[in-house]
Amino acid sequence: MKNIKFIFAGVVFTLAASFLGILLSGRVQLGSLGRAPAEEGGLLFPPREPGLAIQGREVYLSLGCVACHTQQVRPASQGNDIAKGYGPRHSVARDYILQSSVLLGTHRIGPDLANYGARAASENEIHQHLLVPKAGSAMPSYAFLYTRGKDGTLVPTEKAIALVAYLKSLKIDYSSPEAKLNQ
Amino acid sequence: MSQDSYRPSFNLSRVDASVAQPVRLFFASAFLWLVLASMIAVITAIQLKDVSFLGGCSLTTYGRLKALESNLFTYGWLTNALFAINLWLMSSLTRFELKNAWLANVGGVVWNLTLTYGAYQILMGKMNGFSLLEMPKEVALASWLGFLLAALWPAVAFSRRPTGHVYVSQWYILGSTLVFPITFALTQLLVLWCPAQGVLQALVHSWYYQNLHLLWFASSAIAAVYYFIPKESGRTVAAYYLSTIGFWTFFLFASWTGPATLLGSPLPLWVQSVGVVAALLMLIPFAILAIHFLGTLSWNRGISQSWNNTTLRFVLVAIFALILWGLLFAVSSTRGFNAVIRFTAFTVGLEHLLSYTFVSFVIFGAAYFILPKITGLLWLSPKLVHLHFWSCAIATVSLLIITLGGGWQQGSGLRADWPSALFPTFLLLIGHIAFVINAWGMLCSKLSSGYKPTHA
Repeated sequence: MKNIKFIFAGVVFTLAASFLGILLSGRVQLGSLGRAPAEEGGLLFPPREPGLAIQGREVYLSLGCVACHTQQVRPASQGNDIAKGYGPRHSVARDYILQSSVLLGTHRIGPDLANYGARAASENEIHQHLLVPKAGSAMPSYAFLYTRGKDGTLVPTEKAIALVAYLKSLKIDYSSPEAKLNQ
Repeated sequence: MSQDSYRPSFNLSRVDASVAQPVRLFFASAFLWLVLASMIAVITAIQLKDVSFLGGCSLTTYGRLKALESNLFTYGWLTNALFAINLWLMSSLTRFELKNAWLANVGGVVWNLTLTYGAYQILMGKMNGFSLLEMPKEVALASWLGFLLAALWPAVAFSRRPTGHVYVSQWYILGSTLVFPITFALTQLLVLWCPAQGVLQALVHSWYYQNLHLLWFASSAIAAVYYFIPKESGRTVAAYYLSTIGFWTFFLFASWTGPATLLGSPLPLWVQSVGVVAALLMLIPFAILAIHFLGTLSWNRGISQSWNNTTLRFVLVAIFALILWGLLFAVSSTRGFNAVIRFTAFTVGLEHLLSYTFVSFVIFGAAYFILPKITGLLWLSPKLVHLHFWSCAIATVSLLIITLGGGWQQGSGLRADWPSALFPTFLLLIGHIAFVINAWGMLCSKLSSGYKPTHA
């Protein structure tokens, strides 16, 4: 192999093969996915994200939360996520179609958050956890997201309110055509 | 260790002199980023042990610092160092004298300035959610141009080479040089500029991540190993006739392995299965590389001889790391094993094995060989060389035991916390500082004395 054109053509071919074979084929299969009801005539899922949650996603990104948290529940055959209570069913591609930036994550220093909004009892509980993480949690306090009010009480900043709205919006507690809740 | 590395000052060859300036710039930048990344790694390791450490403000959250560390290590240390090694290697092998060194310098400056800006933006929290794509998208075009200006000179050297013979190293350098700009541009487009829908973004990212690590970093490092083993051991590569199969199977299968890192994700099962098959097929090129490298060094006390040579000592550790990574990656891509280790520290160990124990060790070995040639000076302190090797070797083995073993325990439910790697991370910092003091000593003495290389 002495010809640079031959080497370059071969390398481009190998890249093009994987690009077409994985990415474009994946696009053909998933690119036209839309919201769908679990049963005929039912509500469309996934639900649209509230505006505040979209802002909260930016705060989540900005703080680097994705370094410690995933947002994907694996099937029972591929891990014990469901047994751990991370979600009532496994995640499917349709769950992510409305997300501008998909934050699947790669490491779990903290728990998976795909269904955190359904697990957390209230927004107050999430605020409390951000301020003073529960005992045994590997998460630091995010007290800098809160300020002192005139009466001395802690008041959440706009970022904290948006972040909590985003975390509360993370739910896969609905059936999808690909994954029913009772399965 | 051999005294060869500590030779007295000498004149540079015409080829070495022609590339000396950009190679020095790339190496100097790489060393700076390495120390910075290592310091931040110590901070993040402390944060994993003591969650309140530097937790009082948004600037120093674990997520931001971790992203900063990985970007500085990847694009600052690894990429700059490989710019230098690829350029020097190709020029030496082709006997090509670089006439436009200033253009490569401009490329290096642009690359490092965009990295500095990107790092600042990450620290300020303006970042994306995909690993090694965290830098804001507006730096992409400048980074891409900087890469082209800095990295494409090996291709120019090859196409204008005065000598006819072609070595395996040259194939790997050419392949790696071409892969990065193509995959980087397509990934930026499909993840950040015109994002693909939903989980397709993760699929594109996995394609980029594997191409970056296997076809840019590992491929460049393999090129260096193919050069240094025969050069320093005086032996011919064993079973050389397998090299063509090894090269093409490496490039063909590596870029399909992305989905193997996404097992259990919401992607279609067939896509994940393609990744698993590719990961298993990667055993073919890894077996060929093992035959080439270990086959060459294993007979007639070659390994013990290599241990007495500074460059080969680093390269030897790197070869074992590469083979171990190939085996572990194939095993960890099987569904049963992956179900246990996915999302745990085991995956951190695998990344470390490839990008540090293999690629970085090859870079260290190459630097010990190349820097005297392009500066015409000897290494300042043999003691610092020993300190560098042993601290990094002990640290990397400790870190691998902690992350691979700890990750397995996490996945098996035997432990709930993330394994702490503070001690090896700190040891790595010590080793890197020792290395950089030694290397900067050579580079700075050159600058301060206003040295002008004479042509041999």
